[in-house]
Amino acid sequence: MIKITDLEKFYRTEEVETIALNKLSMEVRKGEFVAIMGPSGCGKSTLLNILGMLDDPDAGSYVFNDIEVAHFNERKRADLRKHNIGFVFQSFNLIDELTVFENVELPLIYTGVAAADRVKRVEEVLDKMQIMQRRNHYPQQLSGGQQQRVAIARAVVNNPKLILADEPTGNLDSSNGNDVMELLTDLNEQGTTIVMVTHSEHDARYSHRIIRLLDGHTVMENIMI
Amino acid sequence: MFRNYIKTAWRSLKKNKTFTAINVLGLALGLTACLLIVLYVVDELSFDRYNNKADRIYRVNEDLKLGNNSVNYAVCMAPLAQTLKTDFPDVEDAVRIKRAAFHVKKGTENILEYNVAFADPSIFNVFTLPMVNGNATTALAEPNSIVITETTAKKYFNSTNVVGRDLRIDDQAGYKVTGVIKDMPKTSHFNFDFLVSMSTYPDSKSDKWLRSDYNTYVLFRKGADPKKLEVQLPAFLRKYAAGEMQNELNTSIDAFEKSGSYFRMNLTPLTDIHLHSDRSGELGTNSTVEYIYIFSAIALFILFIACVNFMNLSTARSSSRAREVGVRKVLGSSRGYLVIQFLTESTLVTLGATLIALAAATALLPAFNQLAGKEILINSHTYVWLLPVSLIIVLVIGFLAGSYPAFFLSAFQPADVLKGKLATGFKGGWLRSFLVVFQFGISIFLIIGTLVIYNQLNYIQTKNLGYNRNQVLVVKNAFELGKHAQSFKQEVKQLPGVASATLTGFLPTTQARSTSIFFKDASMTDQKSSIFPQTWQVDDDYIKTLGMKMAAGRNFSSQMATDSSGVIINETAARFLGFANPIDKQLYQSLDGSRTHFKVYHIVGVVKDFHFNSLRENISPVVMRLGEDTGDLSLRVSTTNLPALIAQLKEKWSGLSSSHFEYSFMDQDFEASYRSEQRIGKIFVVFTSLAILIACLGLFGLAAYAAEQRTKEIGIRKVLGANVTAIVGLLSKDFIKLILIAITISSPLAWYLMHKWLQDFAYRVNIEWYTIVIAGLGAMIIAVATISFQSIKAALANPVKSLKSE
Ligand SMILES: Nc1ncnc2c1ncn2[C@@H]1O[C@H](COP(=O)(O)OP(=O)(O)O)[C@@H](O)[C@H]1O
Ligand SMILES: [Mg+2]
Repeated sequence: MIKITDLEKFYRTEEVETIALNKLSMEVRKGEFVAIMGPSGCGKSTLLNILGMLDDPDAGSYVFNDIEVAHFNERKRADLRKHNIGFVFQSFNLIDELTVFENVELPLIYTGVAAADRVKRVEEVLDKMQIMQRRNHYPQQLSGGQQQRVAIARAVVNNPKLILADEPTGNLDSSNGNDVMELLTDLNEQGTTIVMVTHSEHDARYSHRIIRLLDGHTVMENIMI
Repeated sequence: MFRNYIKTAWRSLKKNKTFTAINVLGLALGLTACLLIVLYVVDELSFDRYNNKADRIYRVNEDLKLGNNSVNYAVCMAPLAQTLKTDFPDVEDAVRIKRAAFHVKKGTENILEYNVAFADPSIFNVFTLPMVNGNATTALAEPNSIVITETTAKKYFNSTNVVGRDLRIDDQAGYKVTGVIKDMPKTSHFNFDFLVSMSTYPDSKSDKWLRSDYNTYVLFRKGADPKKLEVQLPAFLRKYAAGEMQNELNTSIDAFEKSGSYFRMNLTPLTDIHLHSDRSGELGTNSTVEYIYIFSAIALFILFIACVNFMNLSTARSSSRAREVGVRKVLGSSRGYLVIQFLTESTLVTLGATLIALAAATALLPAFNQLAGKEILINSHTYVWLLPVSLIIVLVIGFLAGSYPAFFLSAFQPADVLKGKLATGFKGGWLRSFLVVFQFGISIFLIIGTLVIYNQLNYIQTKNLGYNRNQVLVVKNAFELGKHAQSFKQEVKQLPGVASATLTGFLPTTQARSTSIFFKDASMTDQKSSIFPQTWQVDDDYIKTLGMKMAAGRNFSSQMATDSSGVIINETAARFLGFANPIDKQLYQSLDGSRTHFKVYHIVGVVKDFHFNSLRENISPVVMRLGEDTGDLSLRVSTTNLPALIAQLKEKWSGLSSSHFEYSFMDQDFEASYRSEQRIGKIFVVFTSLAILIACLGLFGLAAYAAEQRTKEIGIRKVLGANVTAIVGLLSKDFIKLILIAITISSPLAWYLMHKWLQDFAYRVNIEWYTIVIAGLGAMIIAVATISFQSIKAALANPVKSLKSE
């Protein structure tokens, strides 16, 4: 599903140039659950952003579903993204001005789903995430765990083939964190490919495979049993 | 999709109530002020355009220079209108108007009417004055015919159906109402209640070309070029006036012009009169185009300040929505969607502000009319241009204000936006800094402008005018008393509380003016040293009553029989005449224009210069002689019980005359002559204050925003030990720097422009350095107070709270 080769990404500030990704190559197959680990600042988020087409690489190739997307323009990337990829962030990134229901509905609006269908699908997914009774609340009225469940609901409402999660449990206590990991595992078992960045060895154990990064370069891969 | 935009926009506006209120109300306030000024300017520009043929009507003027004296007249000679019509095929019609005043009898009372004019019958062909009753072509054909306005008809007859009714004029019968016209529009440079047929006025048949009394208007044929007529006027004038010139002034036009004098005619388009004409003999008080420019500039400034606020605050707020933009992009929103979203949002807010402004302007119009002395109405005609203009404003401001968030934010990589990269962008917003500087620059400019204008107006009011206008009571129209005027004066002088009294209509505060030529030699040929002064008829109590001072010689004296040929001249006249010692020198005045029939005067005194014109003009020469003018009776009063004195005066008056007893105070008359300047000053102050208020509102919003943006930073600093002062300093520093830059740029500019404005006044204040310091300091204090309010609030907030919210 994902194949990147010799991917490079630099950040230039006034004084220094940071190499965030250094000739990184890796592959993720359909249906896999991959965890990416590594010390802070080693380029995990950068990688995830590029995989999610939120950012473009400076060099190298990125093939998504057999299509080379490294050179795609913004519009094409947005198009590809909204139909195929769901995101879960450490800081949830819910829109404060929208209710739970409206936040989850948003991706469906952008993909042009009819209003009646939207209600059905949002209710379905809220039910699945057990936050139906909170549908009319605003994000600030929810606990962290609940917010992250809304974020996951939003990520999956479009039935994406790939979910990218950047430290999804980073802001949660262990019990809420485990709930989120269970949800992701369920999704993976139903066929969704998942790439997750995490600091927690415990969370990483939910995955099939761990990719360890050091200074923008793959150090090793462990296959989990 | 659209609903989602509006929903998010609405909730985000609701969530930030303070910002929204500042933003919407600031813009609405600016638009309201702007709208009122636009209504004012449109009203001023619409003068005389109610005439269907306005673009073909021109007034004929006369410019005269004799020796050192020059006068520009709005009036011309009696035979001119008819002669232009016969001599020039391009002239379709011409009309003369001569201002007058008379008494109209109502019941037993004789009411003095001032809005009276003699007019040729062609007035109804040239001007658009719709006749409600009567026949426009014949109404003013016969002598003693009077056309009145609807209001006047109602005043005297309680009906407008009054054609054929009699009017008693100056207590004489024989006048008939021959027509009733609609009231003349307020936007007319003349405004009469009575139009009397010109044939009623014997002098109108005069064939003199050296006497000018008639405001003369010509109507050109369609397609005719007025310039062509104007170039033929010198030859035309030569043809008709040369003879009289030779007879009366004993000079040919060539010799006359060679000596540096001139006698010329020119044309003023009808629609230019109100804003561009300030001549002797105007039919009404005109305005000046300069004020139109000033007000338009203020309107633009206010609109600009309001728009800048709106943009700054929208932009500031939008960076707090950067995360929303990021999330929307992550979820698949394309850039186009986001652009539309932000533009929709700002357009909606602008629409809201514009609607509020339209309502507010309508509600405030009566108050504004009072302030500006106008009668502006918002009616269907106004909406014809107002609505499209409003729509354009909504779209333009909506677009400008929304464009930064729309195009700037939506262009970011979602990854960067989510990381909060934009939050730090606030300090570095050079565009915003530039706009704040510009905004405050304008405010400081306006403060300086207001201070200078106020100083100048104050100066006019407190300037020593060379006479004492306080404690002078003027009994108007003493001529109503006829031959009893003198005895009335003598009786009044005996009243306790009256120090002295003078009987004459020639007062520094009235419009009674007459001019004539005086020569230094009996041959009366030397125009170079002749003077063309105002000639006032006064009595021997005049100088004393008005508190004027003698510079040389003496006052008139009833003991000196020779004083009947004595004159007192002012210092300017003495300077023009060039006598080393003017006392006892002689002056010659022709009695009928010839050189054989003249009167000799001798100068008995020189009065110190006093102001009687506007302070915009230099003092001109005045010659006073003893005369029997009974225009007004002015009293210098020395009592505090004015009501009792006035009651006594009224009683004496009623014993002598059936006409109305009218009085005023000279200082009030003086104020009245500067009313338009004071109005302008007040309007200026009101709108400048508004501009400054709006600018501060914007600063308030920005400061609040900056504080909010840095909540976390402030929290951390406080945890680390910063005190309130340190934090207020931290937050205020950036703004204060900007305001200092604004002061540096705008004060020299303001100084320069106000200096130029003051050049219009012959008598004026200087712009003192402290005016500028006060303005700068004032702006700074207002700004610092505004910012501090927000900064202190931020500094006092509990740091634990702000840190937890992250
Ligand atoms: N916008 C940016 N500008 C400059 N440097 C950046 C930017 N984003 C990330 N970096 C740098 O790139 C490197 C990798 O960052 P990131 O991918 O966020 O690391 P991780 O998520 O592994 O902690 C770090 O050294 C970081 O400082
Ligand atoms: Mg990271």
